Amino acid sequence: MSDCQGLGDCDDARMERIYEYLDGALTRDDVAEIKHHLDDCPECLEQYDLECVIRNMVKRSCTESAPENLKNAILDRIHGIRPVDA
Amino acid sequence: MSLVKDDVNLLSPPQGWEARAGTSPAAYPGKRKVTVDLTAMSTLDPAVTAMYEAAGNDATPASLAAAEAGPSITHVEDPEAIAGDEAGQPSPETEVDVESESAEERRLRFERDAMQYVDQLYSAAMRMARNPADAEDLVQEAYTKAFSAFHQYKPGTNLKAWLYRILTNTYINLYRKRQREPLQSNTDTIEDWQLARAGSHTSTGLRSAEVEALDHLPDSDVKRALQAIPEEFRLAVYFADVEGFAYKEISDIMNTPIGTVMSRLHRGRKMLRDMLADYAAERGFKAAGESTPAPGSDTQENRK
Repeated sequence: MSDCQGLGDCDDARMERIYEYLDGALTRDDVAEIKHHLDDCPECLEQYDLECVIRNMVKRSCTESAPENLKNAILDRIHGIRPVDA
Repeated sequence: MSLVKDDVNLLSPPQGWEARAGTSPAAYPGKRKVTVDLTAMSTLDPAVTAMYEAAGNDATPASLAAAEAGPSITHVEDPEAIAGDEAGQPSPETEVDVESESAEERRLRFERDAMQYVDQLYSAAMRMARNPADAEDLVQEAYTKAFSAFHQYKPGTNLKAWLYRILTNTYINLYRKRQREPLQSNTDTIEDWQLARAGSHTSTGLRSAEVEALDHLPDSDVKRALQAIPEEFRLAVYFADVEGFAYKEISDIMNTPIGTVMSRLHRGRKMLRDMLADYAAERGFKAAGESTPAPGSDTQENRK
């Protein structure tokens, strides 16, 4: 059953939990607890969904390819460096 | 150096950097030596300096300074801190394969193991620098430093995180020198302003229709939103959401306590969410909950 008595209870602390859950930073017990809670609390579930969507958006938007010449430029530079030898 | 020492190192790696490592110590079975070859290092620096001078290209003030500082390029700069501090053992006990690995072998190992992250580091650099040219410079600088210090990287630990920390430090050094301006001035002010606005959204949340709308926001909006939140929050969110680094890894990369990482993530995500909600609204999607803010439902948001 939900221990969530409305938005107030589920606000900040609960969001923190949801973040940690998505970050993989909770203990097994806490994971079980938050999963159980999400089953019961539509409000939190929605926040959870939203957070998932945003994370996917960020990931999608920020995955870029380096310019073609960058890798070669780096290789050129490090070839000009004499590395520490044995 | 004793075998026992090696065994201890292998069986009980320092916490933190071993996580999600792409390579295992077994991949580098060569005999390990636990000294830093200062003599060899000192021959590095003139070469580095000469290389920069020969290159003569515009902007390498940070690395030049580092190179001119002599052995400090490996001492005070980022790489050693990474190799040493998390181990909880005061360096100079840095594992180096100096005996079994030639310079050429090390270069090949660097090219094989480190160069695969160029795209990812570039993406991160784009969140740091303000334009593609600066991002490229930044990545080049970071790789140059990483290569110069590669003998200090411990095989089997988290190479990607090691590179990210060098990138982050390079960014801080490069930009401070180049621009002589704070990374993002008045963070507190921005933060309070953002938090006040975030507070009005988070308690009501965003309705499913807007979740749908958010998902259709163009990438440019997402980047714009990220760029608009203060840097330390932005980078924490980036490291967590895009790279999937654990709190501990982010704390190592950003050189801040885990608690700070968590609070930056929490606040950064709220800000991001708020910005995105605004953009969605601008594009004609209205948050269903917007007209019913929950009053005083949280105290944290109300502070100055």
